[in-house]
Amino acid sequence: MSAENIQSNPRFLIRNKHYWLLAPGIVWMTLFLVVPLGMMVYVSFWTQTTFAISNDLTLKSWQTFFASETYFGALIRTIRIWLTVLFLTILIGYPAALFIGQMVRNKTTQTVLLVACVIPFWTSFLIRVLAWRPMLGKEGAINILLQKLGLIDAPIEVLLFTELAVIIGMVQIYVVFMVGPIAFMLARIDQSLIEAARDLGASGWTIFRKIILPLSLPGVVVGAIFVSVMVLGEFATSSALSGRKVNLLGNIIVTQVGSLKWAFAAVIGVVLTAVMALVVTILLRIVDLRKEL
Amino acid sequence: MIELSALNKSFGFTAALSDITMTIEDDEYLTLLGPSGSGKSTLLRLIAGLEKPDTGSIFINGQNVVGLPPHQRGLGIVQQNYALFPHMTVQQNVEFGLRWREENPVTDEKELARRVGATLELVGLNGFENRGVGQISGGQMQRVSLARTLVTEPKVCLLDEPLGALDANLRERMTLELRRIRDTLGVSFLHVTGNENEALAMGDRMIVLDQGHVVMIAPPDVLYNLPNSMRVAQVLNAYNILGGQSRDNGFEHGGKLLPLPEGVKEAANYAIRYDAAKIVPQDDPSALLQVTFLTSEFTGGGVTYFMRGPDGVFEVERHLSRADPTVYTSGQALGVTWDAKDALVYDAQGVLIGDAQMRGAA
Repeated sequence: MSAENIQSNPRFLIRNKHYWLLAPGIVWMTLFLVVPLGMMVYVSFWTQTTFAISNDLTLKSWQTFFASETYFGALIRTIRIWLTVLFLTILIGYPAALFIGQMVRNKTTQTVLLVACVIPFWTSFLIRVLAWRPMLGKEGAINILLQKLGLIDAPIEVLLFTELAVIIGMVQIYVVFMVGPIAFMLARIDQSLIEAARDLGASGWTIFRKIILPLSLPGVVVGAIFVSVMVLGEFATSSALSGRKVNLLGNIIVTQVGSLKWAFAAVIGVVLTAVMALVVTILLRIVDLRKEL
Repeated sequence: MIELSALNKSFGFTAALSDITMTIEDDEYLTLLGPSGSGKSTLLRLIAGLEKPDTGSIFINGQNVVGLPPHQRGLGIVQQNYALFPHMTVQQNVEFGLRWREENPVTDEKELARRVGATLELVGLNGFENRGVGQISGGQMQRVSLARTLVTEPKVCLLDEPLGALDANLRERMTLELRRIRDTLGVSFLHVTGNENEALAMGDRMIVLDQGHVVMIAPPDVLYNLPNSMRVAQVLNAYNILGGQSRDNGFEHGGKLLPLPEGVKEAANYAIRYDAAKIVPQDDPSALLQVTFLTSEFTGGGVTYFMRGPDGVFEVERHLSRADPTVYTSGQALGVTWDAKDALVYDAQGVLIGDAQMRGAA
């Protein structure tokens, strides 16, 4: 029995040697993704005291998270802001993608327009976020302009250091991740399908509803996954544009790590990871990406 | 009835179609043959309303439809690539035109099911209603595409190279199917193709398009036996076309004097059908041209022999029902001969010389 195993093992390795192609990836992902993830779950059960942390297992950090208004509220806020940003990026991104992918028939123009969408990314994240301050502030560009036009008497204060400011900032940064995938799917729709539908007597709206929208849905889902994963893990935009008043899960992790509260940071890390996994799973249920792409 | 009058269409500086005037009768199968780039798809798209002509008019039953959108013309178009909606089932594809059209859509589910069922039955696809269009073969997709158009009961159905993507076996079967379907429904078919055999086999009448011009409209047998211009003879891919000039009551080509058909004195081009020529030994007294054997191609029912003549390749087709294939070796010197009455001659403008009617009858 064992002799047979020894004999067949090398043959097995030779026959399946193409699996070695996966080895570097598996080693890398194990060391830097699987092990740290497991570690994070493990640490979330450690005992945290003010100045020290010990590996005695306890549920205390988890209880604090779900009992505290501040922390559980941050989870709710994160989800609310994520949904708002997702909705707005689709609302703003889809028409732009529709224009690029369907109305523009020239491939070069399509590329130029898509690159134009990416231009804001040539500046650093910090500058892009901070540039909103002189735009949205009490004495910022928008307020000055509206006052000069006589549309408002007093400056609108809700523009900066509020949840609104965070949402504006995030939508501006992430909308391009929605435009790209949708425009890609739209550009792949064969024009003869639209001609056929028109020839069969369908109106423009019906063609959109029955042909264009369903065929571009995979693009919407891919865009939504991009935007969701990035918004759920956000902390920089919210701290810079809300004056630290709007705390997302990401901000809490930053603070907790800053004050060396590793166990508690790990709890939030686990929660955040779980939320993201759930969101991506739900989005992938909407369309069968394997079939569509 | 569709009448096209003086249609012109250019893309940029290239004229795609010039001065097209023709008529599509009710209840006929019309084939449109042209080499690629001859403007045949453009003509179809103009009639369908997917493109606008630069000048000229299109009358459908007396009404000028230039400017009308496709669906208001009462036509159906079956596109080359089938253009099936990939996210829908066969049923949903076929019912699309009935259920979702802007004007007087069919909303009654029973009525929809009945009409879709009847059309799928006609194209031989009953039972496929719930298949996705990704789960059926190319030939079946072709039928779904046809059914989707026919279910809306168009007066004229435009088919853009409908058999182009099918394999030979399937193509032959669909040829018969298309004719049967058309005969059952009594709608006119305008069938665009680049394949001369398909055009000859299917059409009640046949149009040859070349470089944006209609060069001949005739029933297939007339068109095949008496192409009225050299371009038609070339497009048919069935004629050896020899250049030269007439001299001493004959036609000089490659240093030989070929016999002219009776009553013809002058000619600039000489055409002889592949199957009208015969291979003879090199020193045979009847040999009209000296040729060198290149290769042969077995086509099942016959053999096509390729030889090098004085000016290009000379082809001879031989049907095997008459005799066993003769084997020649590459480089072998041979002669070819034919009956003078089988030759067609064209003037310098490429127009057929002689009384076509009389010769057609004979």
